Amino acid sequence: MVSELDIALREAKLAAQQLSESWEEINLLYSIGEILGRTVNFADASRTILNEISETVEAKRAAVFVHEPSTGLLRPVAVVGADVAKMNPIAIDDESSVAARVFRTEKPLLVADGELESPLESLVRKGAMLSVPIMWTSPTGSVALGVVTLSGRRASERFTAGDQKLVAAIASQIGTAIQIDHLVKASVATERLAHEMQLAHELQMRLLPSPSVVAPDAICSARVEPALSVGGDFYHLFKLGQGRTGVLIGDVSSHGYQAALIMALTMSAMAIHAQNSDDPAQTVTALLASLADELKQTEMFLSLCYVVIDPEHGELRYANTGHPHAFVVSAEGVAERLTATDPPLGLGTGTPQLSRRAWHRGTDMLVLFTDGVSDARDDLGKVLGEARVLEVVKARRADPPQRVIDGVFALVEGHMGRVTPEDDQAVVVLRS
Amino acid sequence: MSFSVSNRGDVCIVEVEGQLIVGNRQELKQKILDELEKGTRKVLVDFARTGYIDSSGLGVLVSLAKKMREMGGDLRLANLNDDLQTLFELTKLDTLFQISETRERALENF
Repeated sequence: MVSELDIALREAKLAAQQLSESWEEINLLYSIGEILGRTVNFADASRTILNEISETVEAKRAAVFVHEPSTGLLRPVAVVGADVAKMNPIAIDDESSVAARVFRTEKPLLVADGELESPLESLVRKGAMLSVPIMWTSPTGSVALGVVTLSGRRASERFTAGDQKLVAAIASQIGTAIQIDHLVKASVATERLAHEMQLAHELQMRLLPSPSVVAPDAICSARVEPALSVGGDFYHLFKLGQGRTGVLIGDVSSHGYQAALIMALTMSAMAIHAQNSDDPAQTVTALLASLADELKQTEMFLSLCYVVIDPEHGELRYANTGHPHAFVVSAEGVAERLTATDPPLGLGTGTPQLSRRAWHRGTDMLVLFTDGVSDARDDLGKVLGEARVLEVVKARRADPPQRVIDGVFALVEGHMGRVTPEDDQAVVVLRS
Repeated sequence: MSFSVSNRGDVCIVEVEGQLIVGNRQELKQKILDELEKGTRKVLVDFARTGYIDSSGLGVLVSLAKKMREMGGDLRLANLNDDLQTLFELTKLDTLFQISETRERALENF
């Protein structure tokens, strides 16, 4: 009778003990879920979690290592029982390290006191060690992201299979937290990049002058649409005095940052050189001297057409280095090309030449555009073509310049539909 | 879009099929640089099956022509269709290249 009672009491005590341990484990998992749910700092969360685990499994030393793919290192992000700053990262191919072995095999490892000891882990190991991989399971499979190690249990006590299961469950939650941390960092970086690109775009657009700077000598309208946030198509306008107006259109042989740099240099150099001469060939020659080194270093070239309109003398003078789409459209609707006399800047070896032709005040219209306009493609890859652009220009030749530009862009956008432009697009229209 | 490379005597002939644009210009550049590495000094780019070249494509041709001249070689062009011929004329790039109407004519004088 006594013996049965003793057995029953022992069983009840054992059940209470198991319930108490399970409660601790459930409570730990619950706490960790809460920590990970409310934190935005992965390192802080790791430290808190590691403290909770080490208390639950009574380990005085513990560490969380996270894999750094760019260096192939396991980097300690949280440590219990040592200073994390004094810990060195561990190479994942290190043969002596328990953590590296666990990372490579993606399997937990229980090692006894004195077994597989590595100087790399001496700060976080005392006696037996339990090491568990931090796994992340995605729809395409699972991948190891790091390792949790626990050590320094009370003398003679090994880690149990139960400890291993518990730590594995927590490690999978840490894996999710690592992934969230990566995604948050990537998202922040993308957002920052997008913001910086937007600023660069706004800065570049601000470099372009307002068409009103040449009023009242000329009525001008212009529009630039970079293919990327920043591009290599641009225009510039100069009021040269005595009713004369300088108009520049340029197309750097690429787009993106490098093209934007050449564009900015050209804009600032032209602002200086245009005021020194009303001979476009001299101005472009001076510009070439300013840009030569940069064009050579970047292997870029620059097609441009610089026009000076002198309505009082009924003359248009220009220098055209490889820019195909420069026209004077007459009142009768005839489009005459301002033919290039030289290859683009950065390619030729000669000096840009001066060309001239008559300019009919008030009726002639200068139309400059870049190949991103005439070469715009539809969803079948069909090119819009220069002729169709000129048709719109001729049809609107009596309209204000802004109407002409609106017509050209309506044509381009109608042709492209939903196709993303591959090249920058710029149009300048001027009457004087 | 593809590039095929063949040899006729000491001339390396590169055929451009489709377009030469920003998306494939580096591939053409690398193919010709590889030939230069092997010792080739005469390259003929044949555009018989090319419909379009954008400004980046023009840029890579000029850059390669410059490099070849520096190395004592020559890069020539052949078989430009009417649109491409006009493009080279309008941009004055025809003054920087020797352009032949046919491949055979280009090879005759190379």
